[in-house]
Amino acid sequence: MTLLEVKNLKKTYATRFGNVKVQALTNVNFTAEKGEYIAIMGESGSGKTTLLNILATLDRPTGGEVVLEGKSTLLIPERDLASFRRDNLGFVFQDFNLLDTFSLRDNIFLPLVLAGKGHKEMSERIIPISYRLGITDILDKFPYEISGGQKQRCAIARALITNPRIILADEPTGALDSHSADALLEVFKDINSSGQTILMVTHSVKAASNAGRVLFLRDGEIFNQLYRGERTNDEMFGVISDTLTAMATGGDKNA
Amino acid sequence: MRKSAFYPKLAVQNIRRNKQFYLPFILTCIATTAMFYIMCFLAYNPATEGLHEALYFIMQLGCIVVGFFSAIFLFYTNSFLMKRRQKELGLYNILGMGKGNIAGVLFFETLYVTLITLVCGIALGILLSKLTLLVLCKLIAFSVPYGFEISIKGILYSVYLFCGIFLVILISNLVRIKLSKPIELLRGGNVGEKEPKTKWILAILGVLALGAGYWIAIVTDAPLQAILLFFVAVLLVIIGTYLLFTASSIAILKRLRSRPNYYYTTRHFIPVSGMIYRMKQNAVGLANICILATMVLVMVSGTVCLYLGTADSLKNSFPTELIVTVSAPTGSARDDFRSAIDKSVTDSGLEMSNITDFYSLSFSTKLENADFGDTLHAYTNQTDNSNVYLLPASEYGRMLGETITLSPNEAFIYADNSQLDGSFSLLGTDYKITRELVSFPAISKQATLIPYRFIIVVADDSFTEICGAQTLVAPDWYYGFDLSGTSAQKIACCDAMESAMGNTAISSGSYDYTHIASIDAGKTDVYAMNGGFLFLGLFLGLIFLIATVLIIYYKQLSEGYDDKERFEIMQKVGLSRPEIKKAIRSQVLVVFFLPLGMAVVHIAFAFKMITKLLLIFNLTNVTLFAVCTLATVAVFALIYGVVYMLTAKIYYKIVS
Repeated sequence: MTLLEVKNLKKTYATRFGNVKVQALTNVNFTAEKGEYIAIMGESGSGKTTLLNILATLDRPTGGEVVLEGKSTLLIPERDLASFRRDNLGFVFQDFNLLDTFSLRDNIFLPLVLAGKGHKEMSERIIPISYRLGITDILDKFPYEISGGQKQRCAIARALITNPRIILADEPTGALDSHSADALLEVFKDINSSGQTILMVTHSVKAASNAGRVLFLRDGEIFNQLYRGERTNDEMFGVISDTLTAMATGGDKNA
Repeated sequence: MRKSAFYPKLAVQNIRRNKQFYLPFILTCIATTAMFYIMCFLAYNPATEGLHEALYFIMQLGCIVVGFFSAIFLFYTNSFLMKRRQKELGLYNILGMGKGNIAGVLFFETLYVTLITLVCGIALGILLSKLTLLVLCKLIAFSVPYGFEISIKGILYSVYLFCGIFLVILISNLVRIKLSKPIELLRGGNVGEKEPKTKWILAILGVLALGAGYWIAIVTDAPLQAILLFFVAVLLVIIGTYLLFTASSIAILKRLRSRPNYYYTTRHFIPVSGMIYRMKQNAVGLANICILATMVLVMVSGTVCLYLGTADSLKNSFPTELIVTVSAPTGSARDDFRSAIDKSVTDSGLEMSNITDFYSLSFSTKLENADFGDTLHAYTNQTDNSNVYLLPASEYGRMLGETITLSPNEAFIYADNSQLDGSFSLLGTDYKITRELVSFPAISKQATLIPYRFIIVVADDSFTEICGAQTLVAPDWYYGFDLSGTSAQKIACCDAMESAMGNTAISSGSYDYTHIASIDAGKTDVYAMNGGFLFLGLFLGLIFLIATVLIIYYKQLSEGYDDKERFEIMQKVGLSRPEIKKAIRSQVLVVFFLPLGMAVVHIAFAFKMITKLLLIFNLTNVTLFAVCTLATVAVFALIYGVVYMLTAKIYYKIVS
């Protein structure tokens, strides 16, 4: 079943005085099926972050549209965007974006509180999620008291607790050491295997080699895509590296 | 690039780039300098020196207060400024400027600020000094001296004071830089995001101190006692306020947070958690605002009331326009004095009315168990003593125009604030109270500092016996009356009366002490004093207001920067812009109006005590004071509200 459709997406930024235009996205098209685990790769300036911001409805495209479950996000009125994000999307950021003023439990509860859920429901929902992410024991600590890997797991718990249609992850391993990064990728794999759709933007070949499909973005367009098929992680790693090398050395499409 | 030109240039650039922080600071410096100059101008100006002695003293007091406050306040604002600039200075350090170089830049920055402040401040002060003098003269009902003057003394003192203040500020900044590590400078404001601990002992102490202060304010009855206790109460309330804002607030918020059904709702979740941190960072600032606001309110309402009530208070200290007292007139002296006085009045072409004329023994003593004791004093400053006027029955009868007969152990009594049950004893003799008097003509209103006052009427023989039985006090003749005519005529008549009485005293061969108190002579003194106080109250009120506004401005600014990140995250997690605005508004509102609300509560509790203090100035009009207080609170709240709206705008701009 198609969950997400991205059609002819364009985004042009004008500089402050409006005389120079920068084309961040020229024409992006792809679809995501329910339960897919997609990684989007590309160099700095390839439009990754712009794409993610538009998918997250934090930014509006100049042209084209994003369709989630058959409904275009462009049609959502401004005032409903926040609740749309809250109900349908889960976010995981590179720098965790946990609030220092809240304990981990409260950080995880935040989207539910905003959605007006009762305390009983929240406490019930957090139990399986925190158990699965291995953070049950540290729920009452504060973000400044725990490690980066723990912070990111907490951020994932916050993304999962609303049962989102799709999880958008922006360089989730970017601020983690290799050990924590590996553990985190395991977590992603685990939640994906239980049916959660994930869309991850990353620089890291290692992170991307965990995904079921990798999209390569260059100069605001999908340059190439790779399906995992029956490949192992290591094989994926090789293929992705080769593709990136080919892209960097100017190879043509479908190399 | 030559180094010598580099520091001054960078200093100018820094001031310009940080104008969001620097501009209000410089404006405040200019305003305080101008106000200090004006205060000095008024205190040391030959034109004002001639005005009134009491006024001169009040203005000098004002100089000291303004100077002292300027120092504290500028120091406080500077520390705020430096905290915000730590990151910038740290960056310089990391980019290769040594601490010596940073010190050089800071030196030039301070130099520029000092120069700008002194030049603009003194210029502004000179421009406004004449206007202020006009206002002052209007308030104290004096004619305005001609000419425009510049006070050299004022300029010198301002230069000394503010150069001194800026020097100390510079030194403290340099010490701060010297002691810091670059990486700490770079982190600057971001350290200390840890959750505050609940300090239960301090929280409870805060409530206790505040309660004790309030309790003293409510329980204190005697005005003289009130002066001393007022300071104790003020101290307790200040301590209580600080503790309440720093410790108790966090204790309460944490308590709220531990109730899931209250806490985990959209309306309370963000504000409660945000407030815990905000209180940690800003509690002292909020307490400062609260105390400053209270000071402004007390000072302005008190002095306005004092000024508006001047006529009232004069009336209270003078039941009649003129009061003549002659102590221990012997033989026919009383009649001689009376006819001398009456003659001078008739000669002046004026008429007497509302005459009170009696002979009494007035003394102070301590009343214990219905016993006035064995020793009578002429004067007391003990607030638990009683003032007594003892009259012979024949005098009281003459005043009422009836014959009064009392047996030796009987008495009539009039009592303020005290109850005697049927009998009392005086100098070892017991008296039975046969009549309780409801009023007494000469002493119209209770306005004295000593709350217990009695008028006792005894038989003539008993009176003579009491007068003879002791040596410390002698009977007085009291002669009070109103006069027709203008104020100048009355004063002239008084002078005539005084010399006539002097002649009488010589001719009768007695050396009795005579005294004439006139409401018109008293008026000038009282107006000069109350007008001076009002002026000082308004002037200091204005300075405190400026201080309050500036602290609020800086607070909003720093909170804006602190909250920016928080709200960005919340937006990503699914908080809509209107929701963010709502959350911000509720937080800002609480933080903003908490000090004001608290100040109003302080005032409400202080109200009774201040009315007692006003009694010292013979002011009994509680309604007037209530009106003054309400009006002052209303005006202050209005100004506060405007400042809130302006600064809230800046806050929103930073956050969104």
